[in-house]
Amino acid sequence: MQYLLNGLPIGAIYALVALSYSLIYTTSGVLNWSQGDMVMLGAYIGFALFQFWHVGFTAGLLVSMLVVGGIGVVVQYCILRPLRERQAPPINVVIATLGVAIVSRNIALAIWGPEAQVYPSPVSADPFALGVLSITPQDLLIVFTAIGLMLVLQYLLKRTKEGKALRAVAQDRYAAVLMGVDTEKSDAVAFAASAALGAAAGILVAPVFFVTFNMGAGIGLKGFVAAVIGGLGNIPGAIAGGFFLGVTESLAGGQISSGYRDAITFALLILVLWLRPSGLFLRKSRQKV
Amino acid sequence: MGANNETNKRSMVIVAILAAVIPLAVSSNYYLHVINLAGIYTLITLGLNLLSGYTGQVSMGHAGFFAVGTYVSALLAISAGIPFWAAAVVALVVTGACGAIIAIPAMRLSGPYLVLATVGFGEIIRLIILNWTPVTKGAAGLTGIPLPNFLGMQISSERDFYYLIFVVVALGTYIAYRLANSKIGRTLAAIREDELAAETMGVPVNRYKVAAFVISAVYAGMAGALYGVFSGVASPDNFTFDDSVAFLCMSVIGGNRTIAGAIIGTFMLTGLSEILRALQAYRLVIYGGILIFTVIYMPQGLAGIMASGNKWLAKRLAELSLFGKGAGK
Repeated sequence: MQYLLNGLPIGAIYALVALSYSLIYTTSGVLNWSQGDMVMLGAYIGFALFQFWHVGFTAGLLVSMLVVGGIGVVVQYCILRPLRERQAPPINVVIATLGVAIVSRNIALAIWGPEAQVYPSPVSADPFALGVLSITPQDLLIVFTAIGLMLVLQYLLKRTKEGKALRAVAQDRYAAVLMGVDTEKSDAVAFAASAALGAAAGILVAPVFFVTFNMGAGIGLKGFVAAVIGGLGNIPGAIAGGFFLGVTESLAGGQISSGYRDAITFALLILVLWLRPSGLFLRKSRQKV
Repeated sequence: MGANNETNKRSMVIVAILAAVIPLAVSSNYYLHVINLAGIYTLITLGLNLLSGYTGQVSMGHAGFFAVGTYVSALLAISAGIPFWAAAVVALVVTGACGAIIAIPAMRLSGPYLVLATVGFGEIIRLIILNWTPVTKGAAGLTGIPLPNFLGMQISSERDFYYLIFVVVALGTYIAYRLANSKIGRTLAAIREDELAAETMGVPVNRYKVAAFVISAVYAGMAGALYGVFSGVASPDNFTFDDSVAFLCMSVIGGNRTIAGAIIGTFMLTGLSEILRALQAYRLVIYGGILIFTVIYMPQGLAGIMASGNKWLAKRLAELSLFGKGAGK
């Protein structure tokens, strides 16, 4: 039971990152490997804001989301649009996003150096008892902020014009174009929202782990795993996948072996892929023929 | 097509002769070392091109096969004293089996799902090596992998290794070339272009997909066996996800639908990352930038650029000779 609870905060982080993968994949069909590095950039920007201007947690979160969202738009317009115009094969798109990941990771390395930076937590990390269980205010902050962001995203997708356009593009890109939706714009919206979600995940995770230039690799990969477990492109699935992965990891690490924790996660993933290629939580199997 | 094959053969012979005299011209051990390393990586990219380029099955876990090849052959040599070639053969069998195992879930997957399954495979292998300390020595890695023998000669210097690797790469290239230009290669391309159509035409798609995975894994396994004896040490850090990505980049940047592309891409990117060392901190920033630039502006890779360059040249030459004839009249 305690392991279950321990898995929730990291699950929330994975869910945010999984959402960011799914959002881009569902609208533009791009598998964006630089998502993890948006997490890293988010954490560094939050850290820099705090270090130089003593910007607090909430303001840091918002500014960082804004800045990284802007980077997402730049990536979409400068790199993915030309690729799409040339109808590049999907593997080229994957390599391009890997290139973005390599570039951003090493810019961060050049600016902040290889040392891990400490981002202080806005709340205490001392656990308090909850019956037989215990949880830290820090963990609660992560879980509730993540859920809040998911609700905001849901609201934006359902209620705003841009959100509706984005969902239309996700459903049928061609039909959306015919209906006069500016797909370039909605791609940019998807990239901005995804990058901003990643940045939020970065700031939330920063006080738990240290801020390092290669922190994005691990979190990005796990977020992607969560997105696939939930069914890539499926928004509620991504959230469920994130929490599922977090809890599974916590259980595997606590009950079986911490060294093999990630190996167990990946073995499970391959099993899921094998048995349910369209995700664990999708009822209808939509294998395209 | 026939003429094209002739020129291909001729250029292959030229490359082979050039390659044979390289160590005589290159005196620095450092350059030879880099060339040797690129040669080993070439084997991996050759396998990747057969799998990703020809069959359309993208793998981001080839460092896993590479690692299995290295560890199996190195452990046999260290703990049982088995000679290099015998150990290498066992390593090839084991990596081939790994390829078949990962091919089973991979058969049903495509696109991002397949990519993730291969990433998962690579990570599982690395984590097993990292954690199975009694056998693999964990993070400390293996040391003192014995030097190999070749036709009774002890291989020890960079130049010795150059010729050993050269022979293996030449053989690997030849086999890949023959495979790619055979019925098998065309079948694989048919699966890439339209799996359903291929299936309808009576191609046993799954069997070919498994075969492509096995062949590709065996190539990486051979590279691993060579890598072990070449570097003398092996640790889990040599076989990370980043390495898998680097192999895939070499394959795509070179042009993954040709055999020559594997060689070009591997040598270009290995060389590039050595040249950029002078820039220190910004090395990988520029490396990443070049990757992005290449996939946008050279979608067929460097081999594609060269092919269109050749066509352009041939056309100009033809025009010139026509013009010459006209002037002679």
